[in-house]
Amino acid sequence: MPIIDQGYQHWSGRLTGHRWRWLAITHHGVKIAMRSYFLRYVLLAAWVPALVLVTTLSAWGLLERKSKMARTFIQFMQFMNPGVVADPRHYCGAVWRLAYGYFFHVELFFAMLVILIVGPGLISRDLRVNALPLYFSRPLRRVDYFLGKLGVVVTFLGMVLIVPAVIAYILGLLFSVDISAVRDTFGLLLGAIAYGLLISVSAGMLILALSSLCRNSRYVALLWLGLWFVSSVVSSVLTAVHHQQQRYVYHPPPPSSELMTRQGAEPLTMNHAVASTAKKSDVPVSRNWRALLSYTANLSRVGTKLLGTNAAWKQISLLEPTASGRHRLLVRFGGPWYPWYWSAVVLAGLLGLSLCVLKLSIRTLDRLK
Amino acid sequence: MSGNAASILFALEKVTKTYGSITALDELSVCVPPGAIGLLGPNGSGKTTMIRTLLGLIPINGGSARVLDMDVHRRQLDIRRLIGFVPEDECLFPGVTGVEFVAYAGELVGMPSRDAMQRAHEVLDYVGLTEVRYRLVESYSAGMKQRLKLAAAIIHDPKLLILDEPTNGMDPAGRKDMLALAHDLAHHKNMSVLFSSHLLPDVEAVCDHIIVLGAGQLLVQGNIRELKAVHPGSFEVRLKEDGTSFSQQLTDLGCAVQRRGDMLLIQIPSGAAPAMLWQAAAANQQQIRHLRSQRSTLEEVFLNAVERTSCRL
Repeated sequence: MPIIDQGYQHWSGRLTGHRWRWLAITHHGVKIAMRSYFLRYVLLAAWVPALVLVTTLSAWGLLERKSKMARTFIQFMQFMNPGVVADPRHYCGAVWRLAYGYFFHVELFFAMLVILIVGPGLISRDLRVNALPLYFSRPLRRVDYFLGKLGVVVTFLGMVLIVPAVIAYILGLLFSVDISAVRDTFGLLLGAIAYGLLISVSAGMLILALSSLCRNSRYVALLWLGLWFVSSVVSSVLTAVHHQQQRYVYHPPPPSSELMTRQGAEPLTMNHAVASTAKKSDVPVSRNWRALLSYTANLSRVGTKLLGTNAAWKQISLLEPTASGRHRLLVRFGGPWYPWYWSAVVLAGLLGLSLCVLKLSIRTLDRLK
Repeated sequence: MSGNAASILFALEKVTKTYGSITALDELSVCVPPGAIGLLGPNGSGKTTMIRTLLGLIPINGGSARVLDMDVHRRQLDIRRLIGFVPEDECLFPGVTGVEFVAYAGELVGMPSRDAMQRAHEVLDYVGLTEVRYRLVESYSAGMKQRLKLAAAIIHDPKLLILDEPTNGMDPAGRKDMLALAHDLAHHKNMSVLFSSHLLPDVEAVCDHIIVLGAGQLLVQGNIRELKAVHPGSFEVRLKEDGTSFSQQLTDLGCAVQRRGDMLLIQIPSGAAPAMLWQAAAANQQQIRHLRSQRSTLEEVFLNAVERTSCRL
């Protein structure tokens, strides 16, 4: 027998246990997804907001240290209340929270985009090429399969949401003036990680459920786009209509020439209408349920709670000399103000629905003919 | 369920499995030794349900089952670690090359990544896919896909390999190669093989032992050589010329004569000697060109078993 044709050889290696078997699916899924140039570009772009976050936190650290370099940054902070810049150490926690709030606001878009690229084919492609018998005839349970596929989404969203947030936190601390900053901001780190995980798990389960409904990844991508964009648009339109109605109830339409100058020199904006509604309406703005129709708005609402951005705005609003000024600032920059647990319930409901869909649509035995 | 565990590949005892009002396995009891086993049965006889049961994929309604001396209720995952399965349908892991496909299959069983990749190359060599291992699996032909699935099933060196209709849709050359691989694994590589097929020649080419199922019950089980045993007093005879007078004489002497093609199947009376055939040929000036004791073919074994069940039902 030639040496190149030795035939079958026995393998005497050792197999690993069942507990981490799902990691093989995650590892494989990440490897396959990373072959997409488009995904790599999106991941790269998703790190730009992280650079901005790191820069902001570092600049604030320099400001706390009263470094000369901080003067350069101060000119970029003219939009802030001078009282905040004057006492950077006192407002360190609030500024960090707001910085993280804006960071996640932008990253949420990238997260949805990454899911749009990675998610649709996760299960639908397996269904199309009938891969399930290959999985389930091996020592895998359904939960391992789902965990493995979810792991792919969580890995990529972790790269977009959690890893940059943690790195920014560490770098921010390095630039900070003293170790007490850890005490003020450690809760924020936990909140950021929790928010990142919330987005990853919630959106991951949702895209898996959608992916299990259809064998064509393109249709799944369309479903995801619908969930993301259409729900946001519908929610925004309904909210705008609601605000408009409130505005007409409490502010009868003035002559068109007065519209732009009604409140002094400032133009009449939607936020003014909301602010005045909040003060006068029997139905307070905090009971406005319309934002619940948007999937991303629900994630954002829970995010504001986890990151504490509304509390940060409240702290900063105290610098405003008048009550109406404080109120205006909160309405303009803070919010949404409806109870966060409403959104949590909506997200929990979607999670439950996703689990039901996955349980019903992925049955091991029906696929094994 | 008793017996020496080492000498039993799998054993089912009064296993019942129903799907609604349909009984797929009806108190099936079977005990199978290691080796190359053919699983035969008409459509709907319960072959696939039996394979699912062995893999621990379905809960059974009654009875007990042990595979490789492990209970299928309690140790499904451990059993699947020791089994390689080649499904009947076309199924693939999408978007990967051949070698990645096989390595991934190994990782799913629990092989370390590096071992899985190294072993993937070895088994692809073995099944003859060396040249195409870096091609995307979607571009493989039907025969290549079958061999790829076989490679994925044996990457972890299983103790039991289950092949479900492995030659379906293959051209003759591919079929021959697949049968040769299955035979080699079963007879030279110390791997037990459960070979489910409708094609009796395929089963005969690979297996030593068969199980025939019908209506969820065991119809026949045994060693193929024993099932194809010599029929005492029954002979196959071929003459040089037409043997009408020869047949007539034998019938007059109390033999049952049946023509099958150019062959005569002759059952001599009990107690009679085969020499009577030579005497009858000499008397009728016939030349015997072929004479041998009659054996059943696997097809006859199978059809007789299925017919018996039909009569019983």
